[in-house]
Amino acid sequence: MNRRSPDPSRRTLLSLATTGSLAAVLGSLPAFTASAAPQRPTTSPLLAGSARSELWWQAPGDESSLIEQGLPVGNGRIGALASNDPGRELLLITDATMWTGGLNDTLDADGQFPYGRADFGSFTLLARLTVDIPDHDLSAVSGYRRTLDLSQGLVTSSYVRSGVTYSRQIYASLPDDVIVLHFTQSGGGRYTGSVTLGGTHGEKSSQAESFGASLANGLRYGAAVKAYGTGGKVAVNGTRIDFSGCKKLTVVVSGGTNYVPDAAANYRNPSLDPEQLARTKVRNAAEHSADTLLRTHVADYRALYEQLGLSLGTSTAAQRELDTWERLKARARDGVPDPELEAAYLQFGRYLMISGSRGSLPLGLQGLWLDGNDPDWMGDYHTDVNIQMNYWMADRTALSQCFDAFTDYCHAQLPSWTKLTQSLFNDPRNRYRNSTGKIAGWTVAFSTNPYGGNGWWWHPAGNAWLCNSLYEHYEYTQSREHLAKIYPLLKGACEFWEARLLTTTLPGSTEEVLIDDSDWSPEHGPQDAKGITYAQELVWALFGNFCAASAELKKDTGYADTIAGLRRKLYLPQVSPKTGWLEEWMSPDNLGETTHRHLSGLVGLFPGDRIRPDGSTPKNIVDGATAQLTARGMESFGWANAWRSLCWARLKDADKAYQLVVNNLRPSTDGSNGTAFNLFDIYEVEQGRGIFQIDANFGTPAAMIEMLLYSRPGHLELLPALPAAWAASGHVTGVAARGGFVVDLDWRDGKPASARIRSVGGRTTTVAYAGVHRTVTLEPGESVTLRDFAR
Amino acid sequence: MRSSSYSVLPVRGLRAVVVLALTAGFATAAPAAQASAGTEAPPSLAAKPYMGWSSWSMQSSKYPGLNPDGDYSYLTEANVLKQADALAKKLKPYGYEYVNIDAGWWMDWSWKQNYDEYGRQKADPERFPSGMKAVADRIHSKGLKAGIYLPVGLEKGAYNDGRTPIWNAEGCTTGDIVYDDLRTTNGWDSAYKIDFSDPCAQKYIDSQAQMFADWGYDFLKLDGVGPGSFKSGDQYNNVADVAAWQKAIATAGRPIHLELSWSLDYGHVGDWKKYSNGWRIDTDVECYCNTLVSWENSVVDRWYDAPAWTDHAGPGGWNDLDSLDVGNGEMDGLTKAERQSYATLWAIAKSPLYTGDDITKLDSYGLSLLTNREVIAINQGDTPPAEPVTPSDPQQVWAAKNPDGTYTVALFNLADSPAAVSANWATLGFTGKASVRDLWNKENLGTYTNKITQALPAHGSRLFTVTPRGTALTSTAYEAEASANTLSGNASLADCSACSDGRKVGNLYGGGKLTVNDVVVPKAGTYQVKVSYISGDSRSADISANGGGATRHKFPSTGDWGTANSVYVPVTLKAGTNTITFDSSGPGYAPDIDRIDVPKSSS
Repeated sequence: MNRRSPDPSRRTLLSLATTGSLAAVLGSLPAFTASAAPQRPTTSPLLAGSARSELWWQAPGDESSLIEQGLPVGNGRIGALASNDPGRELLLITDATMWTGGLNDTLDADGQFPYGRADFGSFTLLARLTVDIPDHDLSAVSGYRRTLDLSQGLVTSSYVRSGVTYSRQIYASLPDDVIVLHFTQSGGGRYTGSVTLGGTHGEKSSQAESFGASLANGLRYGAAVKAYGTGGKVAVNGTRIDFSGCKKLTVVVSGGTNYVPDAAANYRNPSLDPEQLARTKVRNAAEHSADTLLRTHVADYRALYEQLGLSLGTSTAAQRELDTWERLKARARDGVPDPELEAAYLQFGRYLMISGSRGSLPLGLQGLWLDGNDPDWMGDYHTDVNIQMNYWMADRTALSQCFDAFTDYCHAQLPSWTKLTQSLFNDPRNRYRNSTGKIAGWTVAFSTNPYGGNGWWWHPAGNAWLCNSLYEHYEYTQSREHLAKIYPLLKGACEFWEARLLTTTLPGSTEEVLIDDSDWSPEHGPQDAKGITYAQELVWALFGNFCAASAELKKDTGYADTIAGLRRKLYLPQVSPKTGWLEEWMSPDNLGETTHRHLSGLVGLFPGDRIRPDGSTPKNIVDGATAQLTARGMESFGWANAWRSLCWARLKDADKAYQLVVNNLRPSTDGSNGTAFNLFDIYEVEQGRGIFQIDANFGTPAAMIEMLLYSRPGHLELLPALPAAWAASGHVTGVAARGGFVVDLDWRDGKPASARIRSVGGRTTTVAYAGVHRTVTLEPGESVTLRDFAR
Repeated sequence: MRSSSYSVLPVRGLRAVVVLALTAGFATAAPAAQASAGTEAPPSLAAKPYMGWSSWSMQSSKYPGLNPDGDYSYLTEANVLKQADALAKKLKPYGYEYVNIDAGWWMDWSWKQNYDEYGRQKADPERFPSGMKAVADRIHSKGLKAGIYLPVGLEKGAYNDGRTPIWNAEGCTTGDIVYDDLRTTNGWDSAYKIDFSDPCAQKYIDSQAQMFADWGYDFLKLDGVGPGSFKSGDQYNNVADVAAWQKAIATAGRPIHLELSWSLDYGHVGDWKKYSNGWRIDTDVECYCNTLVSWENSVVDRWYDAPAWTDHAGPGGWNDLDSLDVGNGEMDGLTKAERQSYATLWAIAKSPLYTGDDITKLDSYGLSLLTNREVIAINQGDTPPAEPVTPSDPQQVWAAKNPDGTYTVALFNLADSPAAVSANWATLGFTGKASVRDLWNKENLGTYTNKITQALPAHGSRLFTVTPRGTALTSTAYEAEASANTLSGNASLADCSACSDGRKVGNLYGGGKLTVNDVVVPKAGTYQVKVSYISGDSRSADISANGGGATRHKFPSTGDWGTANSVYVPVTLKAGTNTITFDSSGPGYAPDIDRIDVPKSSS
């Protein structure tokens, strides 16, 4: 398959749009809008059974536990969790923009932001759809099986009732912008039951086929459903759609809001009626056969899914026999590697990204999936690791296009972030205000919403971390359009720090250094520490990225010189003579919690790239970082384990990096940390109460790739931390490398067998394995295959 | 069949007989193994678990409209006869026959008691204006049997300062039959304990029995009986009362089924078997709430409490799990899945099947649960009660081997979410193929190799008849006490008459561990390891192989510390030599281990 489709992809169209006028932006950027006529495949994209990669289960989800047992679908904008119960299919449907709250620009008495569901807001459900089939009670069927087909983007279930095999498929199609439920049978069966669509915000439902309403913040939303069958009767009956005697049944649902990512428009399109648009979408989709809808979706999905190829080795026949939940339990209990399960876990992360991050808002704490209207931490965008972690895997796992939602979000929020920063940050009640009295540029709080609003406490270095993530995407893709788009974000962040940094003299020295003002190292220790490592590292990287961007775009060269000068004076952390750790605060003392979940003092190791175990960083700094990471321990929860794994991969400790992946694969029972029945990552926030946080579903795959390939502009290293469990043989294709390359890598007996390096913009790079370096020089589009690494 | 219930053989010997029978079933025509067991004369009463209706569930409920004249006021002549009519019409064709009047027939609406001049309970004229005999006659006229109720002891209201004469017992008064200190008895302390050392005491019981016989009652529930009914100690030991009742019934001239309630003490099971026809093993199934019952309070308790009693059920006396309230839908207070599971357990445990529902308002699903002839046949047929073959984990399998060589197999999911549940044929003693019939859905599901797995709803169940088409499973025994094993922490050897080879490993607490060494299997895989154990209460153990991750399993109580039982646990082993560890894990207590049997092939 093509890994970079030559077709005029949606992404290309979006990129073009971003360079146009504001009107053009409004016309095509993330929003619920009329769809272009879908491109219909001319040949069948459907995969034969043996070519499919499926997760499978032998029980449906519990209606009240769908966050752990529902199977997710999504088209990047609308999503759902499906119960797959034979007698009552339940879909909890979301739209990424279905947010309460608003700009939230009145500070609390402490100079920080309110953080409630009404003021800051919360991600909430759009709708709830049920398909009741009373005669198919779970107690009355046999041979129940449920799958998530990672290779085609389908959720399926099947069972036998009185000798008839009934099957259903559920998926969310991006080209048709609908969720499709398709019910079939073989053996002379019939479907009789009813379809009910309703809201979750107390809407009064008056008709069966659609509803619409507004939230208290004025956001309009609506959803619509259409059902059609073969060989029976389908008819509206009051507030539900009844069907009887149908050989096949197709149900299509769509919905959305009148959100637009435009601060100037107050994030609303007043002329959009979401209910009417949803009705149009389901009507248009219902004009096509279920088969056409399916093929269109699968073709669209496969184009992204197949950008990565992955094998981590072969599992045993006994492992393959187990359903996914049994297999997770066996992996944890028996301690025996299950390379195919581990690869499937990575691919599940990619499935979530393809399903959750295309053409709308980016993935928040729960991605696109909810089971109620009160998600923990609002299901928001956390800027002190979580949203960044969600996108660490995008380029690494060949889903570059899915990164765009993150970029678009930051770009659209920038006017509001700038306004709030400049009007509120230096409020005298804000303990983190600039003591210089100056203010410029922008920053954010720990939480952000899609309305330009901040929540909870100010987070000065949040701007730098967001910018560094956005810049890293440029390093992977070498897309000048992307760089131009994020440039204002980088520049505004630099301006913020130029106004904020304090000059100080280190004890026993006359050397002047620049340090961060009063700040908090996320999320522990003193709240008034100056020069925290977290900020120093992030700003050091930001300044470097800005200078590179300025040079590449040939803009603001004078200002870049200023920033380069500031960068040279930035204080960088030392190793504590007391603890032997890289200091997290400008203090030899450990001022926080030794095993705290965050690795804020190690951002220079990962995702930063300043601390390298390759001789280019002083050994004592690498040792200090290693010592702090060691002290943090191996037993945290999802995203914290994923971050640790990434750090250990950077330190080339394959055993530790792999063990942390394995720790995240532990089955979650009774809310314990680990992987739920549906593979969502569960964080036990208090004894017995586990919540879904999606970051580990993305951070863990990122770590797995980081174990296979390290890259920075001009340098690649193959298999830096290949664990014994995957060493026998494997391959990965399509992995993006910083510097503008894509790598296909085969290994055998723990060593690279071949590495194909393809340029997507990069010109020259060294390729290293076990101390052997080769230099590759390519023109964009060219590739070279290297062999004979093993000595 | 089920002669073992009344056998005086030591348990150890009994178990060996059962094992032989299971094995023989494969080698020869299945019924042969059972032939010698079925020759006893059937008992005259309770040859099978009784079936019928009881008034208590509706009396005890706060469901709107059921008890308009105060608590328990559902019990009236009109309501009893209305239910008798409905029972005769809808359920009698399926074997339901008893119409049982529960507590309160001698009470007025404010629960004030009525007694006759001999201190015997007398019908309340408002509840039963026609009197109790007329009600029994009406019940009989529909071809049904009539049941009545008494608390154990001399009710305080009948004492009358000891002056009331005893019927047909010259010179005896109520004062003669109680203790001088008027010590109370029964589950509510509502009666004076009867002193059976005085001959007048038996006379009093005789007088009550004669009265019921004269009225034509066929069944008596004796309630508040101890030890049990949440009471213990001499004051609450009512074994003599129960014996007196048996004696009185024998001379009253009418067979009367004697059923005991509630939560009878397991330690006296021999007495209950000797003197009665059935015994409630648990507290009331009713929730005393706005429905008849609720899953948590206390339907689900039976899955944990019934296993220890299983071997004691048989013709003449059965383990009574209490009313079967699955017929009314919303008023029952249960989901459809819970109703089916409830009916499944009652059927396979061979509990009496008496509903407490409003039979005039059975919904179609409830009617289907109460009238499934294949399920009723499991309960009423010449088959043993099922017991768990897996530990008391959220997903459980119960099974019984039937005289015809088939197995009754029930899958249960007691978790709050749907889950897959598997029955491995290895836990039934065979391997290979078997055909499966689904009794609730009345269809043959086809042939399954080594196991069947089904998705069950939360609190759901499946009920199958499994017909083996494979071969008997052979296994290797490893005694817990074998010198090759490793004991750590508090673990120690102990004598055990119920155990194979007379020894076991006990004191598995506070982190004490037993590791069975040198377990050899030919191929890597998951093996259904049979664990024979002793545990007077329900205990858990962490079971692991080769030092790997452990799985915690909860073992049902075997009833006391002199009885062994067994369940199967899945253990993943490698080819060659393995260790299997039973770890009490931290502060907990694990059961004593007798031995394990490891099959020679995996499942």
